Amino acid sequence: MKVEISRRRFLQGSVALSIIGGTSIGATSLLSDENEHGEMRIMTRTTNTKAQKVPFLCGMCVNKCAGVARVEKGVVVKLDPNPYFPKSRNMLCPRGNAGIQTLYDPDRLKYPLVRVGNRGDGKYKRVSWDEAYDAILNGTDKFKGLLQILDEEKDNRSTIGYCNGEGLSKEGFEELMGLKIGTPNYVDEISICLETVLGGYSATIGAYGEADMNNADYVIIAGANRAEAIITPDTMDMFKRSKGRGLKTIVLDPRFTNTAAKADRWYAINPGTDLAFVLALTYVVFSENLYDKEFAKKYLIGYEDYKNHVIKNSYTPQWAEKITNIPADEIYKTAREFMSSEHPIYYQGRRSVFAKNDFQLRRAQAIFQGLSGNLDKKGGIIYGKKLALPKEDVNSPMYAQAQDRFDKEGIAIFAGKTGSWIVFRNMVLEGKNPYPVRAMFMRKHNPMAGVPNTKKTEEFLKKMDLNVMIDILPSDTTMFCDVILPEASYLERTSPVASYGFLEPAIVQRRAAIKPMFESKTPEVIYKELAEKLTEPLWKNSLKYDEDVQDDTKGMKVDELAKYYKENGFDLTEPWEKSVEELNKERVVKAFGEEAWNTLEEKGVYYPNMDKYHKQLNPNEYQYYPEDKKNYTTKGDKLKVVVNFKNLAKKGVDPMPTWHDEWAFKVPDGQFRLVTGRHAQFTQSGTTNNMALRDLIPTNYIWINKREAKKRGIEFGDMLEVKSSVGKVHIKAYPTEKIAPNMIFMLHGFGGSSKEMEMAYGKGGNDASIIEDKIEPVYGAAVMHETNVEIRKV
Amino acid sequence: MANYGMALDYKNCINCKACEVACKEENGVQLGADKHRIWVGVKEIEGLWPNLSIASSTFEPSQCQQCENAPCQEVCPTKATHYTKDGVVMVDADKCILCSYCMEACPYDARYVKEDTMTVDKCTFCSDTRLLRGETTTACQATCPTKVRTFGDLDDPNSEISILLAHREHRTLKTHLGTKPKLFYLI
Repeated sequence: MKVEISRRRFLQGSVALSIIGGTSIGATSLLSDENEHGEMRIMTRTTNTKAQKVPFLCGMCVNKCAGVARVEKGVVVKLDPNPYFPKSRNMLCPRGNAGIQTLYDPDRLKYPLVRVGNRGDGKYKRVSWDEAYDAILNGTDKFKGLLQILDEEKDNRSTIGYCNGEGLSKEGFEELMGLKIGTPNYVDEISICLETVLGGYSATIGAYGEADMNNADYVIIAGANRAEAIITPDTMDMFKRSKGRGLKTIVLDPRFTNTAAKADRWYAINPGTDLAFVLALTYVVFSENLYDKEFAKKYLIGYEDYKNHVIKNSYTPQWAEKITNIPADEIYKTAREFMSSEHPIYYQGRRSVFAKNDFQLRRAQAIFQGLSGNLDKKGGIIYGKKLALPKEDVNSPMYAQAQDRFDKEGIAIFAGKTGSWIVFRNMVLEGKNPYPVRAMFMRKHNPMAGVPNTKKTEEFLKKMDLNVMIDILPSDTTMFCDVILPEASYLERTSPVASYGFLEPAIVQRRAAIKPMFESKTPEVIYKELAEKLTEPLWKNSLKYDEDVQDDTKGMKVDELAKYYKENGFDLTEPWEKSVEELNKERVVKAFGEEAWNTLEEKGVYYPNMDKYHKQLNPNEYQYYPEDKKNYTTKGDKLKVVVNFKNLAKKGVDPMPTWHDEWAFKVPDGQFRLVTGRHAQFTQSGTTNNMALRDLIPTNYIWINKREAKKRGIEFGDMLEVKSSVGKVHIKAYPTEKIAPNMIFMLHGFGGSSKEMEMAYGKGGNDASIIEDKIEPVYGAAVMHETNVEIRKV
Repeated sequence: MANYGMALDYKNCINCKACEVACKEENGVQLGADKHRIWVGVKEIEGLWPNLSIASSTFEPSQCQQCENAPCQEVCPTKATHYTKDGVVMVDADKCILCSYCMEACPYDARYVKEDTMTVDKCTFCSDTRLLRGETTTACQATCPTKVRTFGDLDDPNSEISILLAHREHRTLKTHLGTKPKLFYLI
């Protein structure tokens, strides 16, 4: 972006001006230096001066740990863990600590920008907020505005698509785009993430639940990597008791992860074959009558059908050995150990969908958990409770011209609200959409790096008449947008109050540590201002084309029309009449009283009796609830495990988990199966420009088996071309024995193409550009581990 | 007056490096892989896939061992390296002449050159940041997801660290050198 300032000037000018209003920065608190490549680096140091301590919720990943920001003279100098939140229990991970670097990232979007060049060439003009909103509504000489599009489409609101990433302000964007502006065409991170695990567990045991790792004594963790993909409290609880200290840990993963390093046993399972493993465990349990019979009789609906099914199909460990690469003896041993443990857990996992059978895998896992009877009780999968907050109703207008969403091709169970990224994008590209999709409104989402097949995503974005982005950094996707609105980062905004449930429920609030820097604005202010700009012109468009509105309003006088507009929800601004701060207070006071609000403001966390229950046990640990007040058992007789789910058959989905031979693991000679995954130091592409994290992991590498690498003359650091049917990347080699000879692994989130993100640009490879865009057949979620690739040294 | 030490329940370590980032942000340690006060030592795994030795893959969080007989202090010609009244080994940047004898002498490789001041730097147990403000934990301890570290006064029999060391087996690194480290690895 031409108007952007250099990294050096950023430090000398903008930070000083925008954080502390022109006075000079305390020389000891915000340090900078320049490395050999001329990159400016910013570091903080705490001092002994008086500081504000502002409770916040971390926004570096989806987990939302609680922290306290130390603010000295208007500069956030340190992020510390908040000991009051039962979910994150007094910790911050490396990304949580590095949040300061995202706040003060010199590459941040600082002003609203409007495209003046061609899409992707990076030419933008700095404009005022009003000019930016105006460009969205009316377009410029380079692109069409929303009003012209909706005029041409006769008020069919569905011609606008939108997408959003996870976070506390996500709901507001859905209210604006979906409920108020009125398009159903919404895609988000769910269909490229954990859709099948949520769906599979909900369909089977009624919820995803929470694994009580503090009290479990045996855990099978398959395909999930809690040492590197940190989720609280699971990560904290799991590894304090592994390694012979009470929690026997069995890890299944095609590669040797940091979680495997903490295991009692690691099985190098073939990708996509976990279902065969679980079916074989189940076979052992049924054939040896190891399950909790009383529990099964009471709560497992259709378990006898499943028993017959598993036995009849001979899902024996010997059968599974050939499919999974796990010896039959080990499967017998694991099944027997699991069922003879007092508190065994088959960990649900919350990763991306890896294989086409993932929904059935999760069903099989949940049923297997049910067979142990270790459900809705201490040391098992628990349901817990949530503290209720009053909901704000949104008055959503009806648009007669809007049409239903269409992205249903190849999907058995259509998850109405969020749809499937791949199916939506591909149907538009292939011209299978029954009406045009002409605009994308995007927020905090980077499909260029997240949705498999980047080339198609680029084509899709180029096909739009109007692309709008609300974000904090100029991501790969941002560079294909026409109007860019800079959002305040999580440390600069107070977010809608949230309720965390399960074992030890609490209300939490993120408070702004400092005011929004530069000209950035909080998301809710952006929603409000955008709604103010759009509401009248779009209402007039409905009056012009919407026959229902025309019928209803025929002959109305001006004031009657105004009343109709208000009462029927056409006033888009209505959800943002109050600020986030006002709404938070109102909701918390209504539910828990004034004192609760004061506690929440001061500590960032509130739950009933917190003053009595919360105690420090030692320098590291706290009690949040006394043992007898924890929600171990909440379902009681309402507990239900749906084993034989007959309704699924009507949708063409197996009513009981069943193995199909087409799911066998196959890699043609000379090729490799590509697996991807996470790392404790990065969260997807959103953190890759963070200097402190770059310091730890400068780039991603391709893991290749050492012996295989030697055969091909590949050494550490050699540049390889990795090629699939959809694209290729260049990435450096890391030969290791931690991966099978016919597989390769790369970290997700690297290989940024946006030149405006200096630390991320061109470092490593973007896995999305080589993963084939395949879906699983139940919800249409992207499958990440079904791509074979070729490699060569370049 | 205290006698500060640290116990490390190192089997908890998942090599997430939260401690490294927290240390840098708290203490203004420069970015750069060669600039760190604390780190996690990783051993390359032994064996051939899929028969890998899980036991050979370990994570060992480390830093200045805060030796009671610190070789770095002995060799320092300008007395820049000194003990505080609380037994913490510190470098006085005003006295350091970057002769780097201390870096050679340290058996734990715990010192590096801080390039903005061109002096030697190392772990201070957050003495000049957190402890100075009256806090009772170091940045690395406070942030740790799996609570590896316990910092405290070894001379206070009621401190958490004294209780831990009284009840748990532990070892020190390179004990045979006689440096008397005050970092204790719990077994």
